[in-house]
Amino acid sequence: MSEKRRKFRWRGLRLLGGVVLLYLLLWLAGSPGVGPALQKTGHILKMLLPILAVAVFLAALINTWLNPKALARHLGEESGWRGWLIALGAGVLSHGPMYAWYPLIEDLRRHGMRDGLVAAFFYARAIKVPLLPMMVAYFGLDFTIVLTLLTLGAAWLQGMVMDRWTLRSLSER
Amino acid sequence: MISMLPMILAIVGLVGLFQSYITQEMFASVFDGNAVHDTLAGTLAGMIAVGQAVVSYILGGELLKQGVSLYAVTAFILAWVTLGVVQLPMEAEVLGLGFTIRRNLLAFISTLLVSVMTVWILELWR
Repeated sequence: MSEKRRKFRWRGLRLLGGVVLLYLLLWLAGSPGVGPALQKTGHILKMLLPILAVAVFLAALINTWLNPKALARHLGEESGWRGWLIALGAGVLSHGPMYAWYPLIEDLRRHGMRDGLVAAFFYARAIKVPLLPMMVAYFGLDFTIVLTLLTLGAAWLQGMVMDRWTLRSLSER
Repeated sequence: MISMLPMILAIVGLVGLFQSYITQEMFASVFDGNAVHDTLAGTLAGMIAVGQAVVSYILGGELLKQGVSLYAVTAFILAWVTLGVVQLPMEAEVLGLGFTIRRNLLAFISTLLVSVMTVWILELWR
C-alpha cells in the first residue's frame, strides 16, 4: 500500500487514556503531587513545542525534497562513513527529549535509514554541545573529554552491532 | 507525525508525574558505595529519571558531593539521556518492539562500559 493511501489513525489513544485515568485516580485519592505534575506537564509541553515544530518541518522537507534514492545514498545501505558522520553529528546537535525525534526517525527509516544509524543517532544524543561548559564546571575538563570521546565511540559501535543484528534477523526470516 | 499527538501528550503526562513524585532523596538512597552496584544503580536510576539533561548534571554533581562514586554518577548522566523507561511504549509503537529491545539493550550495556572505562581512564590519567 502506498504511503499516500495509508489510513490516518491517532496513535497512543489508549496510553493517553491510561495516563488521564492515572491522574484522575491520584486526584480522587487526594494525592498532593497531581497539581505540581500538571504544572510540570504544561511546562514540558511549552518547552517541547518548538522542538516538535522543527521535527515536523524537517519531516516535511524530507518528504518534499529528498527522494528515496538520495536518502539511501546518505543514510541507507550504501551510505558508508558519510552515514555515520551524519547520524553522529545529528545526534550531537539534536535538542530536546528523545521521544520528540521518534516521528522523524520513523519517517527516515521508512525511506531506508539503517537501524545502525538510528541507534548511533540516539546514543550520540548523550553529548550536548551547549551543556559541555556546564559539564566541565561540574565534573572537570578531563572527565568531559574522556566521556565525550567514549560516548561517540560507543554510539558508533552500537550502530555497527545493530546493523549486524538487523542483517542476521532479516536473513533468518 | 500529527497522528502521534496523543502518544506525545501521554508521555509528557507521565514525565510530569515522574518529576513530581520522584525526589532527589529517592535517587540518593539507591547508592551504597560499592562500585559495581552503584554503576548498575546509576544506570537504572538514570533510566527511570526524566527531564532535561542539565538537571542530570546538577543531580549528578550533588550525588558526587554526597560521596556517591563517579562510576554511578557517570552511568546516571549517560542513562538519563540515552535510556528511558517512560518513553519505551512510544519507542516500541513507533520504531517496533524488536528494534526498541535491541537498541535499549545495546545502550544499557554501552552505558555500563562507558562509565567504567571513563573512570578507569581518568584514574590512569590523574
